[in-house]
Amino acid sequence: MNDDQLMTAVRESFADVRSATELDRIVSRSQVVRFRRSVAGVVAAVGATTAAGVAVAVSLAMPASLPAASLPVHGPLATSHPASSSGVRLAAWTVARQTDGNIKVTFREAADAGGLQRTLRADGVPASVTFTGHQNPACQPYTSRARQAFWPFGPTTGPLSGRSSFHHAQSAFTSPYALVIDPSALPAGAGLQIWVSGTPGAADNFQLNVNLVRASPQCTGS
Amino acid sequence: MGSQSLDFAEFYRGARHECLRAVLVSVGDRDMAQELVDEAFARACASWQKVSQHPAPAAWVVRTALNENISRWRRRRREVAVPDPGKFADLPGADGTSGSAVDPRIMAALLGLPARQRQVVALRVFLDLDTERTAEVLGVSPSAVKAHLARAIGALRDDLVHIGKQESQS
Repeated sequence: MNDDQLMTAVRESFADVRSATELDRIVSRSQVVRFRRSVAGVVAAVGATTAAGVAVAVSLAMPASLPAASLPVHGPLATSHPASSSGVRLAAWTVARQTDGNIKVTFREAADAGGLQRTLRADGVPASVTFTGHQNPACQPYTSRARQAFWPFGPTTGPLSGRSSFHHAQSAFTSPYALVIDPSALPAGAGLQIWVSGTPGAADNFQLNVNLVRASPQCTGS
Repeated sequence: MGSQSLDFAEFYRGARHECLRAVLVSVGDRDMAQELVDEAFARACASWQKVSQHPAPAAWVVRTALNENISRWRRRRREVAVPDPGKFADLPGADGTSGSAVDPRIMAALLGLPARQRQVVALRVFLDLDTERTAEVLGVSPSAVKAHLARAIGALRDDLVHIGKQESQS
């Protein structure tokens, strides 16, 4: 068997290996990639500004202390969303209570983590939100003997769902924009930790994470 | 759908299987390879205007998938284990009984190669890249590519001939 024959044999042995992923799914996932990059850009900018000792001013569309139940949609205005250039200012994130009691969080930029944290807590969701690239060190992973409690995503298996699929559901929120929280499905003693990870500026390594954590005053506020 | 999207669609349909095979050779796990390739294609789609100008977009996808594999390993702070080659070698032959699409003996022989040699084989065999392009993708010299490929072929031949002898004796 010469070299060409050997390589041909190797190539042919993989002939039945075929990608099963449809084009539509790839295109949909590319929107997630664009979203991650936009988040990365904002956090990189925030990091640079903070390093210079300049406070980052985030305009609040509505008082963050009002719960979503009494205020259908609210959130801070985006600081650099592309729509801003056309005169339309979209919120960096919005929190809205839906008719079924679920709470929908729509992300556009990783800005005003404290405002989002206060808003979620006011709506009865124990939450820790950080957009600094680091987790709140006071938060501990939620553990339970019930497997469902480990799996926070999906309408039938946990308190969280999104508009599209999650490619690594246990740690990475990869829906393009929306996270839906069912507060009644949160296990007792559990809260949510929402944070961004990766290297700011390195868009492809950046992602928004949502985890179940043990509720505590230091982590989730209660 | 604009012309740019159509271009990506055409590229995806033409390259997705080859890219999956190339990444599978490198990482050794079918599910992981599929996930990495999907992510890499999604990034290619998101940056198609730039990626389409690349001299070998399929090589860009494979390189991106392999980089993502390394990034995930770093994020998780634990090793992404390459399956034990013996696990594949012990499986039945590629007659449909193993449930694997690849002859487990060939997969075992490939997984027995050092990572760089597997990557060279993947790019040369499945993407049909020449030595210079393979060297560019991997960030090594052309002479290193030739050396890796020669060693890989030698090792594969030894393994597969050894298997052939075992079969003929049994």
